[in-house]
Amino acid sequence: MKDILIPAKRVKKELAILLVCFIAAFLLNIYAIAKYATSWSEILGQLHIIVILSLVIYFIVAILRLILSGILKAFK
Amino acid sequence: MENNRKNRRDFIKEMSLIASSTAFLSSIPWLNAFAGENGKNVAASDRVRLGIIGVGSRGRALLLNLQEVNNVDIVAVCDNYEPNYQRAIKLTNGKANAYYDYRKMLDKEKLDGVVIATPLHEHAHITIDSLNAGLHVFCEKSMARTLEDCKRMADTHKATGKILQIGHQRLFNPVYLNALERVKAGEIGQITQVRAYWHRNNDWRRPVPSPELERKINWRLYKEYSAGLMTELASHQLQVANWFIDKVPTRVMGSGSNSYWKHGREVYDQVALVYDYDNGTRCIYDSLTSNKHYGLEEQIMGDKGTIEPEVNRIYSESIPKAPGIRQLVNNIEKGVFDVIPIGGASWVPETAVEYKGEMIAEYANNDTFLQMVGFVKAVKVGKPYKNLFREGFHSSIGVLLGLQAMDNNEIVSWPEKYILEKEV
Ligand SMILES: NC(=O)c1ccc[n+]([C@@H]2O[C@H](COP(=O)([O-])OP(=O)(O)OC[C@H]3O[C@@H](n4cnc5c(N)ncnc54)[C@H](O)[C@@H]3O)[C@@H](O)[C@H]2O)c1
Repeated sequence: MKDILIPAKRVKKELAILLVCFIAAFLLNIYAIAKYATSWSEILGQLHIIVILSLVIYFIVAILRLILSGILKAFK
Repeated sequence: MENNRKNRRDFIKEMSLIASSTAFLSSIPWLNAFAGENGKNVAASDRVRLGIIGVGSRGRALLLNLQEVNNVDIVAVCDNYEPNYQRAIKLTNGKANAYYDYRKMLDKEKLDGVVIATPLHEHAHITIDSLNAGLHVFCEKSMARTLEDCKRMADTHKATGKILQIGHQRLFNPVYLNALERVKAGEIGQITQVRAYWHRNNDWRRPVPSPELERKINWRLYKEYSAGLMTELASHQLQVANWFIDKVPTRVMGSGSNSYWKHGREVYDQVALVYDYDNGTRCIYDSLTSNKHYGLEEQIMGDKGTIEPEVNRIYSESIPKAPGIRQLVNNIEKGVFDVIPIGGASWVPETAVEYKGEMIAEYANNDTFLQMVGFVKAVKVGKPYKNLFREGFHSSIGVLLGLQAMDNNEIVSWPEKYILEKEV
């Protein structure tokens, strides 16, 4: 069995993307609170949803990235 | 058994907690029985001597519950049906003296009170004889088969000053008591309607060992002995409606029929009635014996909320909003996946809101046991609780007036003589 090595640079890049996804989800929550005039306590109260949402966004982005890199490889 | 006793003590402690909210206590005098109660034994000299008349299905349940109440001696049992007579002796391990005739029992035994669980048409004369013999009486609901008998029972209760408690166990049910407290605190606003129903899918028929026992065993099916769904089921729910609305109805209209069970049943197998109160409030009632999907409930509806005590739920009219982020996600989902209609209804159907409400109160409840504790305590003190009898009386009168409305196809007004004023 061959070990798969993930370089530190790659890990950092993925974490950075995840952080961006989290920030996006966080901002989305603020937008939703304002739009639906709900309680500002939901900024912290709905953190569990924000974490789930950021993972969902991360996986959607990952799929898009995979498709994009496939297309780029095909053209090279 | 020890575990059982522990539970029983817990039930009493729960009631004692409810009784400790003093503002509420004044409107429910029978809660006094539980104030400061810890459910432990008191002096043996304080024992209450009871006789049970009619040890059929309900009488057996009452006997078993009474055996769990502290300081009670069941010294006599009476039933005029041999198998139940023998069973009653067994249930008391032969400790109680057994009788076929209640009059002999009243003559021979030194009792403090009797518990009556005979068929409906046998309630009035046994109750009246017992009260006149100087005994306190617990009589199962509904009070009697006729309006005149209910009145005679009430008059004798008043004249003798003895306790007459009618078996409406919801009056001792912690969930109902808590619900009522929340109504009084204004949580569901002004009650404008109570919608109550009891739906079953069975015919009440019991197997009969020989044909001449048919009417004795299946008494519920015959008009001579029973007012059917009205006295057997509606009586409980009309009692709840009157109690929560805190009024006596002014009139009743209704319709009853035999639509399904065609086997010699004389009483209606379905009924639908409307009870009006003087402030415009209404109790809408129906009972059915051929479908049990909706079961039973008393939906107590106010402008700010709804209470469904049978399932222990309270619902607010202003449903708490979902968090913003969930609303946003839901709307995006809808936008992506919902079909856009081209034609169709131009209105949004007002179907019921899917909202589970919240629990009224968390209680390990056994209301039949608690009402027996209440009765025993009253017997010990020797005095009826204020306004408790009134609940049973108005419910018994109400169901018989309802029957009259259905039988005669008329709107029946509540006669003055059947109104008991509240004691203060
Ligand atoms: N509160 C409740 O939830 C509740 C539940 C069930 C029944 N009940 C009430 O309890 C009463 C009895 O119902 P049940 O289902 O037990 O009926 P049942 O037919 O099972 O029992 C009645 C018993 O009374 C006996 N009896 C009849 N006439 C008698 C007499 N003159 N002297 C002595 N015994 C006599 C019968 O032999 C029988 O054993 C009814 O009024 C019913 O409405 C109340």
